[in-house]
Amino acid sequence: MQSDSARTGSPITASSLVGPAAVMTVIGLVLPVLLLLRYSLNLYDPRELMIETVSPANYVKFFTDIYYLDVFFTTVWVAMFCTLVCLIMGFPLAYVLARTQSRFKNVLIILVVMPLFVGNAVRAAGWMTLFGSQGFLSISLMDLGLASGPTELMFTTQAVIIGIIAVNLPFMVLTLQSVIEGIDRAMEEAAFSLGAAPMTMFRRVLWPMALPGIIAGTILTFILGMNAYATPVLLGGPEFKMMAPLVFGQFQLNNWPFGAAVAFILMTTTLSLTALAAFWMQKRVRLG
Amino acid sequence: MARLELENLTKRYGDFLATREVTLDVEEGEFLVMLGPSGCGKTTTLRMIAGFVEPSSGTVRLGARDITRLPPWRRNTGLVFQSYALFPHMTVNQNVAFALEMRRTPAAEIGTRVAEALRLVRLGHLGDRLPRQLSGGQQQRVALARALVFHPDILLLDEPLSNLDAKLREEVRVEIRNLQRELGITTVMVTHDQEEALTIADRLVVMNEGRVRQIGTQRDLYERPADRFVAGFVGRGSFLEGTSDGQGRFRTNGGIEIACAAVEAGPAVLGLRPERVGLAPNGADNSFEAVVEFVSYLGGLVDLHCRLTDSDRVIAQMVNTGGGDLPRVGDRIRIGWPAAAAFVFSGEKAK
Repeated sequence: MQSDSARTGSPITASSLVGPAAVMTVIGLVLPVLLLLRYSLNLYDPRELMIETVSPANYVKFFTDIYYLDVFFTTVWVAMFCTLVCLIMGFPLAYVLARTQSRFKNVLIILVVMPLFVGNAVRAAGWMTLFGSQGFLSISLMDLGLASGPTELMFTTQAVIIGIIAVNLPFMVLTLQSVIEGIDRAMEEAAFSLGAAPMTMFRRVLWPMALPGIIAGTILTFILGMNAYATPVLLGGPEFKMMAPLVFGQFQLNNWPFGAAVAFILMTTTLSLTALAAFWMQKRVRLG
Repeated sequence: MARLELENLTKRYGDFLATREVTLDVEEGEFLVMLGPSGCGKTTTLRMIAGFVEPSSGTVRLGARDITRLPPWRRNTGLVFQSYALFPHMTVNQNVAFALEMRRTPAAEIGTRVAEALRLVRLGHLGDRLPRQLSGGQQQRVALARALVFHPDILLLDEPLSNLDAKLREEVRVEIRNLQRELGITTVMVTHDQEEALTIADRLVVMNEGRVRQIGTQRDLYERPADRFVAGFVGRGSFLEGTSDGQGRFRTNGGIEIACAAVEAGPAVLGLRPERVGLAPNGADNSFEAVVEFVSYLGGLVDLHCRLTDSDRVIAQMVNTGGGDLPRVGDRIRIGWPAAAAFVFSGEKAK
């Protein structure tokens, strides 16, 4: 490194640029994950709290108990569903944002980002007033004669799904927008002039060229969905369980070994599903 | 292959008119070049032919079809973009095959036609490469093959050479021209490069401010420009401001009387090509004493930038025979030109 910086005459070396982030990653991510892995193999005892050992008991407990499996699969399908909806809703929006010549483009982008200015918990609290049986939505539907009785959206799966989509959509839109912006408009026109109608153009040119962004946006929203905490807790209520609240619940009960195991399962599932999806999408394009 | 007819094509963006009543015909197999400064409407016109811009009024006819309101994918036009716009995720073969797939050509036929198109542009051996593995010139030729493989009715070229370096540009230019002749395909090219336009075209269209200023051969434009804009845009020239008396006399603002063709009386502009102005006396209709202000040595030719009066300057040209001394800055010389050598524009044409 010494010789490097001497040669370029610059005090900035690659290591000094990457260094701080690397240290943060080790302290903030790698060490805790390793600790978590270690804890997850320990056993819980109501009196001694944690018994040091190496046992798969916590994982066995998780995968043999129908309650935990239910939480697990609910989390996976809610995250997948929300991601899919974000992609379907986000792509057209991102396309318009990327291609617009309007001088209000920046305003439009700020409007998309706006929801992120409000914290998840604050926003969920807002949704609560909207979704409750005495909430705005319910009253409006009744007043308009569209519903005969009060509509209870609060503490339902639908409420959680709507909430998560609202939180995640901006991430999807922004990721897609930047990628679509990088695709020369002439590519689309070339496809048109060669005889491709708009849907064919989309399938054969725009989609595969935007794929890196689609994968990035999908991964981002999927991870956010899998790990959603505030939205399921506040909008789903006590009956609705997803993985992140479950982890926290176990820690609150001082059952660190089981909480760690659940956290580890959540993380591993997220990572492997993400990798699988990315691999599959890329492969499909190469074949198509 | 087909004849293209544009009739009164106007494109309006709010108050701005990108093109104003553009009317022109391109004959079957003809190579027409649209030339003009940026913003003159040539690209908008091309995009209206391709179908990316919908005209505000007017018609586009290709062969027997009125294609004015047809979407681009139903027009059968072969388009080569300035950026080539090759699909980066497809190989050269897949790029060229794309249009045939869209037309549901049988797979076996696609194979032979792609190979044939690539052979035409001498890239038969690179079919399995990705565009990013090709040089700029090769990408250009792939774009050309892709635009020709489906036998379009017309080939449209949007500044196809401007991303190539100078030497390559000349090569590709000749190649495009030969290919176009060989296939006999009706072609419209847009460029702002005058030299490119002059060397490649059968006929040219000079546009400015959305209007067609002149349509004609290279010779028409250079020797018989329709107005001051064309005279100044195609080739070099000197311009003198003044007034015409309507009877073949032109009086410059500097006070010189020049014999020229008769045009409508009033404020006018007189234009001269450098090679038509020589050292007098050559029995010229016009002969003036001038001061050499600048000598530009071009090898076989020498340009003499001369001052006739404080407001009248003319470029004269002499052949460099190698013998004797060349005029020097500050020398007083006599220059002259025949009355028929100058173009005079008055009224609208002088603008």
